[in-house]
Amino acid sequence: MIIAEQKPLDEILKMISGIEKLLVLGCRGCVAVCSTGGDKEVGILASALRLGRKKAGKPIEIDEETYVRQCDPEYLEPLKEDGKNYDAVLSMACGVGVNFIADRCPGVNVLPALNTSFYGANLSSGEWAEMCAGCGACILHLTGGLCPVARCAKSLSNGPCGGSVGGRCEINKDVLCIWHQICEKLTSRKQDQLLREIVPIRDWRPSGHGGPRRRIREDLLP
Amino acid sequence: VISGSNLEQVLTSGQFTVTGELGPPQNGNFDIVRDKARILKGHVDAVNITDCQTAIVRMSSLTAGLIALSEGVEPVMQVTCRDRNRIGIQSDILGASALGIKNLLCLTGDHQKFGNHPQSKGVFDMDSIQLLGMVKTMRDDKKFQCGDEIKSHEPRLFLGAAANPFADPFEYRPIRVAKKVEAGASFIQTQIIYNVEKFARFMEIVRDLGLHEKVYILAGVTPPKSVGMARYMKKFVPGLDVTDEVIERLKGAKDPKEEGINICVDIIKQVREIPGVAGVHVMAIEWEQAVPEIVSLAGLSPRPGAKTVEPRLRSSESIELIVSNAKEGAKAEIEKALEQAQASRDLVIKEKEEITSAISSLKRQTEEATAIADQKETEIKRLTEELAKTRAGRGHAQAAKGLASNRESIALSSRERRALTSVRSGLEALRKGLGINEDQLEALRRFFEAEFLLHSDTAEQVTIPFYEEAVPEEKLEKPEAAARRKEVVNLVAKGNVLLHKNDAAGALDAFEKALAIEPGDQKAGEGLKKAREALESAALEEKAAAPAVPEGVPPCPEGLSSEEWQRKWVIRFVATGNVCLYKGDVDGALKAFKLALELEPEDEKARAGLLKAESGLIAPVPVPAEPEVPEKAEVPPTPESKISPVIKEVKAEAKKEAPVTTPITGIEGLSFAELPKETTALSERAGSVPGNQFTEPCTGVIREIRLGEGEKALTVGGASALPFHMFEGDMPHAPHIAFGILDSEPEDWPDVLGKYYSDVFSDPVAWARKCINDYGAEAICLSLVSTDPNGMNQPSSQAAKVAQSVIEGVDVPVILWGCGNAEKDTETLREVTNLIGSHKVCMGPLSDANYRSLGATAMAFQLPVVASTPIDVNLAKQLNILLENLGLSLDQILVDPSIGAVGYGIEYSYSVMERIRLAALTQQDEKLQVPFICNLGREVWKTKECRLPSNSHLGDQERRGVLMEAITASTLLLAGGELMIMMHPKAVALTEALIRGMI
Repeated sequence: MIIAEQKPLDEILKMISGIEKLLVLGCRGCVAVCSTGGDKEVGILASALRLGRKKAGKPIEIDEETYVRQCDPEYLEPLKEDGKNYDAVLSMACGVGVNFIADRCPGVNVLPALNTSFYGANLSSGEWAEMCAGCGACILHLTGGLCPVARCAKSLSNGPCGGSVGGRCEINKDVLCIWHQICEKLTSRKQDQLLREIVPIRDWRPSGHGGPRRRIREDLLP
Repeated sequence: VISGSNLEQVLTSGQFTVTGELGPPQNGNFDIVRDKARILKGHVDAVNITDCQTAIVRMSSLTAGLIALSEGVEPVMQVTCRDRNRIGIQSDILGASALGIKNLLCLTGDHQKFGNHPQSKGVFDMDSIQLLGMVKTMRDDKKFQCGDEIKSHEPRLFLGAAANPFADPFEYRPIRVAKKVEAGASFIQTQIIYNVEKFARFMEIVRDLGLHEKVYILAGVTPPKSVGMARYMKKFVPGLDVTDEVIERLKGAKDPKEEGINICVDIIKQVREIPGVAGVHVMAIEWEQAVPEIVSLAGLSPRPGAKTVEPRLRSSESIELIVSNAKEGAKAEIEKALEQAQASRDLVIKEKEEITSAISSLKRQTEEATAIADQKETEIKRLTEELAKTRAGRGHAQAAKGLASNRESIALSSRERRALTSVRSGLEALRKGLGINEDQLEALRRFFEAEFLLHSDTAEQVTIPFYEEAVPEEKLEKPEAAARRKEVVNLVAKGNVLLHKNDAAGALDAFEKALAIEPGDQKAGEGLKKAREALESAALEEKAAAPAVPEGVPPCPEGLSSEEWQRKWVIRFVATGNVCLYKGDVDGALKAFKLALELEPEDEKARAGLLKAESGLIAPVPVPAEPEVPEKAEVPPTPESKISPVIKEVKAEAKKEAPVTTPITGIEGLSFAELPKETTALSERAGSVPGNQFTEPCTGVIREIRLGEGEKALTVGGASALPFHMFEGDMPHAPHIAFGILDSEPEDWPDVLGKYYSDVFSDPVAWARKCINDYGAEAICLSLVSTDPNGMNQPSSQAAKVAQSVIEGVDVPVILWGCGNAEKDTETLREVTNLIGSHKVCMGPLSDANYRSLGATAMAFQLPVVASTPIDVNLAKQLNILLENLGLSLDQILVDPSIGAVGYGIEYSYSVMERIRLAALTQQDEKLQVPFICNLGREVWKTKECRLPSNSHLGDQERRGVLMEAITASTLLLAGGELMIMMHPKAVALTEALIRGMI
């Protein structure tokens, strides 16, 4: 899922300075699951903003709303009109939601409440880690299911660099060296031949270096 | 042959190879690279030029490599994948190849996190293995990475790669080397080796894989410059295995630098013995000067001459050098030619003289001949006369004789003609031999002919000596003279260059040598004079400069110019001065500023500082209440050291005069004024509202309990009204606050609390004294946490000794608070009472589990106790009854109702305390008429809110914690708390201010 993090309150307050009527708009998709932009967080952020503005002597009127998803047109439909009743809509969805509102709801001033971080998994309550880089050319069958593109600091293709010590990455001892893990996994599975083969230089176009990506499935097109 | 580089040649020749390393500067200074290259020149076979190592921006490896090359040092250009993508790298490689670079080391590169631009985007378009493959394809297949053809001039590069035998997983490392070899590496340079044994194991696997026959392996070595450097590498450089032996050797060494070199040499000798090691890669990091010594001590010098190192680009200086050399050469040639010409001229003159003498002899002969002719004429005359005389008689015979002699004379003149011809041909030969021009020859010829015509004479051959006859002698001597001359000229030039570079001693030497060869050489003489003058003036300058460096400035370290070093010290002195000013230390400031001005008389800051210090204009010093959090792992400064002595005295005096007033120490933004006291009585304020409408007089009184002994003893309790309800009754003693301290170093205190005590953590007595002396503590509560059987489980006897030393070491009341384990507390507290004798100390907590044993002890020694129950009115009352039944007086009991921090159940504590107090005061419940003790500090500081770091959402951590503690305390005060146990000095100050404002 997409993992996001709320922007610092001060940044949001600065963003909405001068705004008198605001809609805080949550999303029940990924950001709700990672406890960043769901119903509960909408309530907390709205309260914090009200308090902050009251303290600054500039009270604000804030409504709260949470959509099922902000990345599907049918759910955004009501916002096209409702959004115009506000000076701004503070979206607590990932960047996709903010963009999609900006695309689909002309006349609505949409602002981001979150920093969209990465594609990750929930390790434990309150802890998420990046697992995929969305590079568009998956090689996980060659690496024991562990992704060096997303999880190696240098996105190496041909084994661990010289900074791998004790199974940890040189950039931070809290980071696992994913190549160390790949080596262990492939060796234990007797697939270590894969470790001896030279993986050729990558084509980075599918990972976004070839321009904005778009996917079309003819059979589903209206 | 791959690239034909010197490195390749030395490696393929089978000689043990040495490569060096040159780190380009963090600026655009050409000279730094050139100087480093000159140090290494001749001592290594090639030099690695690093590519922004450790991700710090430096001069590019290509550029620095070209500078090295222009000095005749063969570079191994390093290229990483961190900063450039395949387009950039291939482009640089083409450039490198065009300008004569022949070796390339392909690396992935250190992560940008380690450098000075951690914010940058790492490129990592490929990794080192893919990079090797790409360059190999460019070289061997003449194709760019995309597959396009390189139509001509493909880069011919000798490719290398790195390997780290000390990184994990160990078994994979040789396989990775194999991958690199397969991808195109011809040589491998390893990570720095200190653990030779592990490297040998690595090499064993390498040999098992047969790699040592496919690739040249150069073992990486680095001389450690100091113990500090070795420790740093061990600790912070990932994948570097610095053995303890190395650290010990450096530690024990008199001269660690020398020992560092020895260590490096030893390692070289050891790795050389390992089969498959083709050479060493000496990385003297910012210590290039060590390389020649290391190489020589390791027995690896001299290196084979680098014949193939031919720069395509040259520095302007080297061009100048070449031009000046060429000039000198040309000059010598010209001089030689001039000398020859001079010799020829001399020869011509000599020939001329000889010819002249020959001519004069000819002249003489001619004269003689003329004389003979005259004689003949006279004879002819005589004969004619005789003929005339004898015409008649024997006339015919006589006449025949005369004719014959005449014929003779005609024959003579034909000989003369022959002589003239041979003179002519001789002159022609002379002309050819001497290069005499036509006009000169013509002049000579005419001269001879004139002589002949004038004095036609004997036909003797004129011998003309040959030019060649003289030359051979000259030829033998001249080259020697020329060589001497050349050497003198070279020496003079060298001397002048050295003189220009301010190396007067070297110049002197050069000139003296020149004079030894050619004592009369004018230029050398002049140079010598100049060099002497320069030396003298340098000596004078040195003398003059020496006293200008004041004491306290250590000698300039390597790598810094003396100006930079001096500048640093000026800044340091000015800073010291300012600190002294700030502290009020005028003398110190004067001294520091003067030192700074001695170094740099123009420094404005120092001048301004000096003026300030002299005028005694010292800014009022605010009391820095907050000891700085020690940033480095040094002994944390105690708050005293931050306070100037003047202020300290003032503080001490103030304390004597008004011991009750604790100076309020506030964090910035939390400094608060004393609360305004309400001066108008409530009855007045109530106006016409009758008193019985707003008062509810109490009928009970809380007992008074005396804690401690002597002057500093405290009395708590005594209230006959609800807390601070002064309009309803009396509150004879203000609530008091005891500082909570521990008998051992706290494990989990947040820094914002711990920093106030970290210097005394190890010594509970000093800790208690610090609370009293620095923070004005009225009482101390010593928690015997070390005895907790679930924790450190220290023996009771030990804790008791600590308690004893605290009790005997301070004069304020002491409360001893056990670890909460009923059994252990009984043991410990009993032990204490055995040790302290008649000292009065309050003990707790007594619970229903140990009240009997501890109650008896307290009764025996007449000590106050803390009766502790879990948040319940009835339980509190019951324990008091039990203690009373045991024989204890209620005047000895303080009730601990169990309290929680704000947000952690304080409402329950508040409610229970309120109900206990109401029962005591309004319902005459005698068993509850005892004061409350609230051990709140420990509760507050373990909450999550006090531990989360500062952030924009929750604000400053310390301010947050202080407020948590002070608000918890004020809440409990309002519920009736009489004795608070708190920890943070600022929270205490804040709470005390509140109490003063309320009473």
